Amino acid sequence: MVGSAIKVSFIAMGVIFLVLTILIGLIQILVKLIPYEAPPAPPAKPQAAAGPDEGETVAAIHAAVARHRGQTPESIQITHIQPR
Amino acid sequence: MEELTFQESISRIAGSTGFTALTGGHVVMLLVACVLFYLAIWKKFEPLLLLPIGMGCLLANLPLSGMTAETEGGLLAFFYGGVKHEIIPPLIFMGVGALTDFGPLLANPYTFLLGAAAQVGVYTTLIGAVALGFNMQEASAIGIIGGADGPTSIFLATKLAPHLLGPIAVAAYSYMSLVPLIQPPIMRLLTTKKERQVQMQQLKPISQSVKILFPIVVTIICVLMLPPVAPLLGMLMLGNLFRESGVTQRLSETSQTHLINTVTIMLGTSVGASMTAETFLTLDTIKIIILGLLAFCFATAGGVLFGKLMYYITGGKINPLIGSAGVSAVPMAARVSQKVGAEELKGNYLLMHAMGPNVAGVIGSAVAAGVFLSLFGDTAGAEHAAMIYTLVE
Repeated sequence: MVGSAIKVSFIAMGVIFLVLTILIGLIQILVKLIPYEAPPAPPAKPQAAAGPDEGETVAAIHAAVARHRGQTPESIQITHIQPR
Repeated sequence: MEELTFQESISRIAGSTGFTALTGGHVVMLLVACVLFYLAIWKKFEPLLLLPIGMGCLLANLPLSGMTAETEGGLLAFFYGGVKHEIIPPLIFMGVGALTDFGPLLANPYTFLLGAAAQVGVYTTLIGAVALGFNMQEASAIGIIGGADGPTSIFLATKLAPHLLGPIAVAAYSYMSLVPLIQPPIMRLLTTKKERQVQMQQLKPISQSVKILFPIVVTIICVLMLPPVAPLLGMLMLGNLFRESGVTQRLSETSQTHLINTVTIMLGTSVGASMTAETFLTLDTIKIIILGLLAFCFATAGGVLFGKLMYYITGGKINPLIGSAGVSAVPMAARVSQKVGAEELKGNYLLMHAMGPNVAGVIGSAVAAGVFLSLFGDTAGAEHAAMIYTLVE
């Protein structure tokens, strides 16, 4: 019984190596036939132009922040707006 | 209508409780279920599997619950039907396929050989199991524990040795969770410091078309060579095709998340339900637990030793530590290779290199299962053939 188990083990390992070696060969053929091509670089995103109502929005936020802090709008200066 | 006295009512209720049928075997199995809960919840050993297995075991061993009774339509018996009829393990494989990136394997296809070499654990365990008195079918089902692949172990055990399903599944998942403890000493024992410090070249990128064609090619070749492997490999590759094709994103997401989670619950509880006192509390279970550990050790050693061979053949370009990842257990075994490599040389990143043999191990263990089914699965094949003939008629 152990003898036949050893025989089965050798045959089975042989089959596994055979199947996986065939797959290695096929992968190599595929990789050679279809080489990797780097995708084209995406076009640069144009800088969003300031909309007509952007100034009004900033002014409204400015006033709201000042009111929330209990200060006058003049005492707060918005120095930078992070574009979305 | 029969009129019951107070005493009779109490007596009937007391007689209908599970306590009246509780045996010593049940109590031991309830303790086993509690051990599984402890390992899953507090030790975090494969909790996604061991927790439902523990609950299945608990429910199956609470007498008179009827959860596992086939004739009375027990819930867990229905779930087990999904395992018995080859539904649940292949569906889990589909999820695994959708989760797996075969890119590292395609970039370095020779690592396929490491996945094959690690299957040596399966066959040394087969020989050991036969030596311990198991027949060939049982020994094959036990040996596949060395493939470190839960669904494959369950699939093969259901086909070849259903009476051993419980201990095989518990051994497979327990040892898979212990990979970080089992593998490192063997890896260090079989390699030199110089070998462990090898830094491998960066993997080359692979075309998306190759990634799409790969699952189709593997399915054709493997199923033509080993038809019984079709349910496992076919579903694994279907899941991967969902992922790589780019046109079935919804199916890919479902396979990787909700579907695999749902079937995991059914798989865990039904496997746990197979752990009854009569089938689990035997000497065979102890033998399987010991053989399972040996399977993992030999599989790790096989992968590392083949990695050493590749190290010498390539003039030191392959780090043998990636060989241990050939045991499957994705991605834990690859992480172990990375960890042991980084301990030897800080900044040595082996993870992606180890993912190649790791996913090759999944294919390798499925192929190993296919070989066993081709050799010893005649009875099951005959049953299926009979079923098909009945349907055709």
